[in-house]
Amino acid sequence: MHVERLWLSDWRCWEVAELAPSATGITLLTGPNGSGKTNVLEALAWLARRESFRAAPRDVLVREGAPQAIVRGRFDSGGRALLVEAECNVPGRDRVLVNRQPVRHHRELQASFPVSVFTPDDLAVVKGSPSERRAVLDETASSISASFAEARAGLDRVLRQRAILLRQASGRLTAEIEDTLAVWDRQLSRLGEEVAARREALVAALRPAFESAYGRVAGERGSVSLSYTRSWSGELDAALAAHRGEDLRRQVTSVGPHRDELVILHAGKLARSHASQGEQRTLALALRLAAHTLVEEHVGTAPILLLDDVLSELDDYRAAALIEAVPSAQVILAAASPPRLGIDVATTIDVREIGRRLGATQGGGGGAPLVDGGESGTPMCPAAVES
Amino acid sequence: MAVYTPAVQRLIDELGKLPGIGPKSAQRIAFYLLRAERVDVLRLADAIRSAKEHVSFCQRCWNVAEGPECEICADPRREAGTICVVEEPRDVVAVERTGSFHGRYHVLQGAISPIAGIGPAQLKVKELLERLQPEAVEEVILCTNPNYEGEATAMYLARQLHERGVRVTRIASGLPVGGDLEYADELTLGRALEGRRPVEG
Ligand SMILES: [Zn+2]
Repeated sequence: MHVERLWLSDWRCWEVAELAPSATGITLLTGPNGSGKTNVLEALAWLARRESFRAAPRDVLVREGAPQAIVRGRFDSGGRALLVEAECNVPGRDRVLVNRQPVRHHRELQASFPVSVFTPDDLAVVKGSPSERRAVLDETASSISASFAEARAGLDRVLRQRAILLRQASGRLTAEIEDTLAVWDRQLSRLGEEVAARREALVAALRPAFESAYGRVAGERGSVSLSYTRSWSGELDAALAAHRGEDLRRQVTSVGPHRDELVILHAGKLARSHASQGEQRTLALALRLAAHTLVEEHVGTAPILLLDDVLSELDDYRAAALIEAVPSAQVILAAASPPRLGIDVATTIDVREIGRRLGATQGGGGGAPLVDGGESGTPMCPAAVES
Repeated sequence: MAVYTPAVQRLIDELGKLPGIGPKSAQRIAFYLLRAERVDVLRLADAIRSAKEHVSFCQRCWNVAEGPECEICADPRREAGTICVVEEPRDVVAVERTGSFHGRYHVLQGAISPIAGIGPAQLKVKELLERLQPEAVEEVILCTNPNYEGEATAMYLARQLHERGVRVTRIASGLPVGGDLEYADELTLGRALEGRRPVEG
């Protein structure tokens, strides 16, 4: 799977932009800080996941003053041409077309079109709160299975409904609240057990990949381990029932997969609190690499690898180890300066020449057309949008 | 940003209160209406006024009706004793299109959703329970949407109905999860109705 051409329109700082990364090897996207490099990677990742890897709210994705942002990508998926187009409408729903056919459930798309993203913020995967680590698991499992993504989205929905019901109850368990809580708890138990079980299976599959990735990146066979800890024991519905009084009082759901933890141990100690910053960075990289490898094994195609300025954070040895670890992937690397010696770049693209930016002082191409001739047809018609 | 004249702004504001219409769509529709032929626009206004004046809700099943009862409730050929529970009047239309249901309906006018501020008390649940005895209801088919809110509503009703000794069935899954009945095609929905299964309390 690789992207042949990417078009942006009204995406963040970009009025229009168009670029054609190299099909294999590393495409270096270069330009000074603040020139919109990360925004390009973010757009490509958003096309696959429909979520910003920077956890940005939707409204900042659309260029100020524009009615909607459009991201289009032409992909080659094992010889099959795939034109994926998505509109980000604020307010409103996204609209996605694959080869001109509307897609109703984008989760099916994510599993057929995976991307791996590495950013300097990945340190938070090790150092940050448990939700950062759960997010890595969920992202990976969603890339492998659309039904996981479905269950995960359902879990979110049911947890939100339950949270609001608890707030509305304001501590009092009337007959109506009790009966309504019971129906949400039944759905929460079913979805919660499913999500936790599938995360556990994923962690078991990730473990060997994580250990070997760590060995390669760190250059030593350190002792590292991964495990998944549930926030409850026994059946989830029994645990929910046992915590009902507490949940009503505190107005939160105290047990469930949203309270579980992916535990990363380094030399027998919790990496989150006991590893050095350098070790944490290596562990985060190893976890991302393990996930990348696992998705490649399951989906049968290497995810497109987006590296947002990560090589500069690594020493030469680790940077080279990272690049060697992903031989089959298309790599797009955003960096202010070229990578160090020993890393071959297939194509270099100056981000100042791919399109027109907001507030950019006249530099470069001055606006590539959104559509490349008749080759890929007309852009999506904004007038046809209604959801 | 330029300010519209009060009449235009009022139109945009009113349109913007409609479900699924954001501020931008409201503006687009407003200017479409202002550009359109006068007679076309007045026909629309008239249709709205007349529907609001003549259409109300059926006193028995809460479907839309022109009169005290809807056409289905007033039809003596419909089998008494079986009620199909749906969320919205448009779901009645979806089930009717399948041609495989011959009983009567009950329209809840929504589904349980704390996010939307809707609990059982905001739905026509009490009204459903009050129909059971006088209509000698033997079976209630829960035909709420196949999403989490529809499922929650079905579970809630199942329990209430079981307590009253009614046979409760749920349309077979196989409908797309997260979907609306409205979007299910006739064949699929028809099969789902025929393959309905008893629900446990
Ligand atoms: Zn009626």
